Amino acid sequence: MKRNLPFYFALFVSKLSILALRLMGRKGTNLPGGCAIFLCRDFLGRMPRPKTVIGITGTNGKTTVANLVEDVLDRRGVSYCCNRSGSNVDTGVASALIASSDWLGRPKKELAVFELDERSSNLSMPYIKPDLLLCTNIFRDSYKRNAHPEFIVDVLNRYIPDGVKLILNADDLMCASLKPENPRVYFSIAPQPGEESGSENIVQDVRACPRCGAVLNWDLRRYHHIGRAQCPACGFASPAGDYTAALLEEGRMRVEMGGQAYPFPLPDQRLINVYNSLAAVALLRELGLEPEAIAQAMAQTGISATRFLEEEANGRKVILHLAKGQNPVACSRAFQNIRDYPGKKAAILFLDDYFDAAHTVENISWYYDADFEFLADDSVVQIIAAGARHWDVYLRLLMAGVKPERARHLRDTSQAAELVGPEVEAVFILYDVYTIGLANKVKNQIQQGRGAPAGESAGSGKASPHQGDGSSLR
Amino acid sequence: MKIEVLFPEICNLFGDLYNINYLEKCLPEVQRVHTPLTGQPLFLTEEPALVYLGPMSERSQEKVLEKLRPCRDRLAELIQNGAAFLLTGNAGEVFGSYIENEDGSRIEGLGLLPLHARRDMMHRHNSVFLGEFQGAEAMGFKSQFTMAWPEAGAQGLFPVKKGVGLNPQCPYEGLRQGNLFFTYLLGPVLLLNPQLAEALLAAMGAGGTPLALAPEMAEAYQARLRDFHEKV
Repeated sequence: MKRNLPFYFALFVSKLSILALRLMGRKGTNLPGGCAIFLCRDFLGRMPRPKTVIGITGTNGKTTVANLVEDVLDRRGVSYCCNRSGSNVDTGVASALIASSDWLGRPKKELAVFELDERSSNLSMPYIKPDLLLCTNIFRDSYKRNAHPEFIVDVLNRYIPDGVKLILNADDLMCASLKPENPRVYFSIAPQPGEESGSENIVQDVRACPRCGAVLNWDLRRYHHIGRAQCPACGFASPAGDYTAALLEEGRMRVEMGGQAYPFPLPDQRLINVYNSLAAVALLRELGLEPEAIAQAMAQTGISATRFLEEEANGRKVILHLAKGQNPVACSRAFQNIRDYPGKKAAILFLDDYFDAAHTVENISWYYDADFEFLADDSVVQIIAAGARHWDVYLRLLMAGVKPERARHLRDTSQAAELVGPEVEAVFILYDVYTIGLANKVKNQIQQGRGAPAGESAGSGKASPHQGDGSSLR
Repeated sequence: MKIEVLFPEICNLFGDLYNINYLEKCLPEVQRVHTPLTGQPLFLTEEPALVYLGPMSERSQEKVLEKLRPCRDRLAELIQNGAAFLLTGNAGEVFGSYIENEDGSRIEGLGLLPLHARRDMMHRHNSVFLGEFQGAEAMGFKSQFTMAWPEAGAQGLFPVKKGVGLNPQCPYEGLRQGNLFFTYLLGPVLLLNPQLAEALLAAMGAGGTPLALAPEMAEAYQARLRDFHEKV
């Protein structure tokens, strides 16, 4: 698209807004782009793009992968622009492009890395036309925004431009089947020695062959529909990986690519983050970085503390774990991580949607797609549900088979820390993107000794599991 | 006593299968039968205490219609004889007259329920609903691409108190035809509405069965209603 007067006017105003925000001491990560698109609807299409544009999309893990990729680029001294501090929709992308362009819109960087929201890809992908697009996975997500996975697949198939090279998860048949005519490479984790299929999940969105509809046979199903499957009727099967994590070892993985194997460090051993690290490796390699250079830089990176943070205090671990609200798969992963963590655990659940809790009644149907059943494990000795929908969470826990004496629930989130019992060796605090402040506050309370210290009796131990809607014990 | 769950591998989008988990908790002796899309429905040869169909994707609606079309007469006979059915989300559209796409094309339904639906895939409707059911308040959540229009002879399930019924002008949500219950309210609608659970149990021939987790369910129900009246 050609630059026209409305484009230059929008660019000028948005540039001024950046200056104004700077004068006010604010970052303005989204406003300039919002302003530009308001004034010129097809602003993104008219904005000159950097020489190379990378897109990272998918239901879960796109922020983690984007952060890893950007951290590696930083450590290799590669200059780029990105929307890390802004939103992953069109306004965030526009803001990033505006911020790294001159007054005529010409890009100051040759490379752009954009995390792209899959649901609103119609507003970004046709305009920025990525050279490389990575899709981490496609799962059930917010019912309100994303409806169901088939709808998201349709949106992506419609709006990913033809010809864009795709980097896809071979172990996710929905993701692997995107835009079949586009060039592609796959990443995959090979079945590990002794690895068996994981627990049955409530949500399993790929059961039938995408080609002929027959029920698939699973060679290995790790979680939900992630794994290796084949169709007994037509021979369709999970594609082979071009980047295959052949062997996972303590703190590292061996990735086979182009007939050779290279070691890469793993910032986090949990399977979901192995997929994220592997995706980052595949993308960086496709971008042209040498395996050794990627590995060296990855050794100095970690998973963002806003997603997962583990600390020790008063003789017990305190773990902040993001569990994206209204996203049953993300919460199921978090619940399984709690079950699989060693020792006796407590789980503090802040599952309310921040905005719904303030203004309406949240649709809690998604609780029944999330595997709360993992929390019924005997090693999870205490579950504390706090927030507006605490009675609904409690009911869900009982439906999951959690023993009533292990579940406490209350409306007042500020009192959750006090309920942690003495036998607990690790406290998980699950929070949504917008409640990280609350999670940090409760973490600090636990670290400062609120709740029963490990090995001592809990002050509130005699209380009923129900704390009603007030803040006092009944 | 048997509950037949139709095509759970594809008709299970919004936690709705927990309606059946809950009925199992209320009726420990009940036998749950899953009929896959490739299998033969139990209702063709038996009369289950309940036939359940949950929400599905738009493409799946067409597959389900293709599967059920040859069974239409048997389904009509069962409905006529008072067999209990629970249809949630867009499952009811399959039993309706037709589904209209944005381009005006139509997908013929089974013609067993007096309603038709219109899709609008670019605009998802999300809302919280408050209605009445047998003298009590019924509450639930809607998240859908379609609106439905009742036809002659339709009987609503929940008169609207606040929120959107079958369509924004319709004074009721869902349909009831004998012992067939259809609602767009998503998810575990029985767990959310004790009175509806009791009515469905009665329709299944298990009237008077004590509700499982009744005190907790009642507290959660009251807390939701309180929040609705305060905030919505």
